[in-house]
Amino acid sequence: MPADNALIAATAEHLRRFAPFDRMAAEHLSWLAERLRLGYYAKDETVLAPEQGEVRTFYIIKQGVIRGEREGQGAWLELHEGECFPIGALLSRRPAISHFRAQTDVFCYELDARDFHALLELSPPFHAFCTLRLADLLAQSQRRTQARYLSAATEQQSLESTLGSLVRRPPVTCRPDTPLRESLEIMRAQGIGSIVVVSPDGTPEGIFTVRDLIGRVILPATPLETPMREVMSPQPVALASTAHAFEAALAMARHGFRHVLVADQGRLVGVVSEKDLFSLQRIGVTQISSAIRAANELGQLQQAAADIRQLGHNMMAQGVGAEQLTLLLSTLNDLLTQRVIELECAEAELCRERFCWLAFGSEGRLEQTLATDQDNGIIFSLAPGESADAVRARLVPLAERINRALDACGFPLCRGQIMAMNPKWCLALEEWKALFARWIDAGDPESLLNASIFFDFRPLHGQAALAEQLRQWLSTKAAANPRFLHQMVTNALRNRPPLGLVRDFVTDSGGAHADTLDLKLNGATPFVDAARVFALATGANATGTAQRLRQAGPKLNIPPAEIEAWVSAFFFIQLLRLRRQHEESEAGQPLDNRINPDRLNDLDRRILKEAFRQARKIQARLALDYQA
Amino acid sequence: MKLPRWLTGRGHRPALPPDQAARLAAWQGQPAADLTLPFEQARYVVVDVESTGLDMRRDRLIAIGAVAVAHGRIRLADSFEIVLRQEAISDKDNILIHGIGGERQREGIEPAEALLRFLEYLGNSPLVAFHVAFDAIMIRRACQQYLGLDWRHPWLDLAYVMPALLPQYARKYRALDHWVGHFGIGNYARHNALADALATAQLLLTALPLARRQGQNHYRALQELERAQHWLDRNG
Repeated sequence: MPADNALIAATAEHLRRFAPFDRMAAEHLSWLAERLRLGYYAKDETVLAPEQGEVRTFYIIKQGVIRGEREGQGAWLELHEGECFPIGALLSRRPAISHFRAQTDVFCYELDARDFHALLELSPPFHAFCTLRLADLLAQSQRRTQARYLSAATEQQSLESTLGSLVRRPPVTCRPDTPLRESLEIMRAQGIGSIVVVSPDGTPEGIFTVRDLIGRVILPATPLETPMREVMSPQPVALASTAHAFEAALAMARHGFRHVLVADQGRLVGVVSEKDLFSLQRIGVTQISSAIRAANELGQLQQAAADIRQLGHNMMAQGVGAEQLTLLLSTLNDLLTQRVIELECAEAELCRERFCWLAFGSEGRLEQTLATDQDNGIIFSLAPGESADAVRARLVPLAERINRALDACGFPLCRGQIMAMNPKWCLALEEWKALFARWIDAGDPESLLNASIFFDFRPLHGQAALAEQLRQWLSTKAAANPRFLHQMVTNALRNRPPLGLVRDFVTDSGGAHADTLDLKLNGATPFVDAARVFALATGANATGTAQRLRQAGPKLNIPPAEIEAWVSAFFFIQLLRLRRQHEESEAGQPLDNRINPDRLNDLDRRILKEAFRQARKIQARLALDYQA
Repeated sequence: MKLPRWLTGRGHRPALPPDQAARLAAWQGQPAADLTLPFEQARYVVVDVESTGLDMRRDRLIAIGAVAVAHGRIRLADSFEIVLRQEAISDKDNILIHGIGGERQREGIEPAEALLRFLEYLGNSPLVAFHVAFDAIMIRRACQQYLGLDWRHPWLDLAYVMPALLPQYARKYRALDHWVGHFGIGNYARHNALADALATAQLLLTALPLARRQGQNHYRALQELERAQHWLDRNG
């Protein structure tokens, strides 16, 4: 007999604090609560084991911690209050893969497998959670990110900004008796589209814009000696600097103006144009990319670089995923770098036909975040009889100017000196091959570290064919050296995802980074390293981690679902990095990759755990394939 | 055990309407439970009561909360909660403890009916509580008063069983709160009969593997453990 009592209600309330129960309909949650049993497991007692055969029970932890262990792998996951298991085994009606053991005294809600399957049919959110799991949690997290950034973003971009904050420079003015010719000369010299006509006491009397030229000057053949008061639009619309941008937009729309004066107590403060309002509303990909293409001096490129970062923020607000976001940032940064190189080359009058600019590291993988320093180099070809040193001597000064220009655009110089201006990384094709071959044959720690940076090279500007030749040569060479792959794997496996045994995460316990973990090193790197090995082993030529995994998956017979789980996990970690960096940049702090997992919300913490679990899985696969 | 007069009532025997009398007779006609069934096969009912006060002689039963432990698990739906209709509302301080306001006390179920429902829910399952004496006497007196029933039922007292199983804590832990705290058992509403019964039932769950480790695997064995602990407490 189902009891309609406070206990069922209290249990439903308790479950409602956790995903996916928080999204289930009240009636389905009661349906579940009525069917639950409560079991107790003493510390170290087995809750569920593979040898028990097909799983008959769905477990939800009421209190305590359960540890999952796999044959030969030790503890690899930890489950806490509100988490459920073993979903995969229940869905496929098979025995559990892991051995689940109580790490503390544990109370578990238990549901019959039959009821679990009935609930799947009954409740769509429950179904989505169980079948999509990671994807479902990610979607939830994305919605929250969106909600969180949206308010900040609309504030930044919206037409609620005050006009005072939009005025970019002091107004350019003339007097009512200033001759037309003089005013037009001022406008041309300053590159502006409008001039304000003010009386000697500073009161605005009128405005004259480029648009007025045709109708008032050219067609009527107005003499250029005419005083401004005769050609200006009198009684211009003026708004206080405290007025909102939307009031200006409204005035423009109503009167067909493109400029509105900003004046306080009759005194002119500035001019706001339609263009100012427009750029307020969007920094678009196309605007930025055309600005970069049209740029012909460093200042414009610096502005574009700032716009790229702003765009990154805006896109986070729109809930754009990390995959698209990092790709977009990298693409725009590529464009910017290419333009920097073009401008420097033009100035140096060096032909670019014989060299190629290479991006390494995260830029090579198209995975740049907001905090990215430079990792680049040059590959060049030699004409018959030419010495590599001679070419290098010509290229290095050029490279140095490029590196410094990029630095000025917000890509700090590489502390490890991995830059084209360093003669060590400005090499002829044959020199690169010899260097790579040396690393592959030596396999010492430094060579492996170098391989992990340089083998992610990607041509960015110039003779891409040179980079392609190097890539093809490398694929053959690496795949033919199992010993090297083995060493890469051993090296990669030294870096374990920080899933702890005592608490959810292993964090640094002292110093400046107390209680934090490094998302880049501990989170993203295991995926990046594994993808690199898979790519080298299978001859996949992509440099991006996701692409590499997707290319190598079929060749290694890894199920697509598993590949996608790895890719999602990787991008979730990237998203957390981006979010963290964004917060730091807003707070004016230096950007890093460290987070304190305790400060994440429950949902993100769970996803991060799941992501680290996926990192363990990819490492297990790596060990299985290349270490035995 | 011979009970004092005030407990067995003053020879008063209420006349139950025929249907209630029949239900009571049916309950009384059940076979007694087998107290030597292994834990995995038996059903126990863990109970907690709220009363108008702590004076076992004068105070009256207000509410019963009960949770069944069957086959070694708490089945949430197999639980019971009832408020008895009161002729006089308990005083304000007391209301603050159990949280059952005057309104709910007046709107409670007519006592004979409430007690019958409890007995029907209970069936022949043996009972478990923490500090049995109080719960047992409260229910027993109400049964006498409203059903004219000289109610006798097997009881097990975790207040003695727990220290017997974990002697190292025997001196440290006295109250239910100590023991549930030891196992980190939460209580969603302390001093609510049902919530306290749930916490007590969870405590019983922790006792079962401990008992099994000592070679005891049925209710009767736990009762013997309880008796030994009583003796220890008095003579130790």
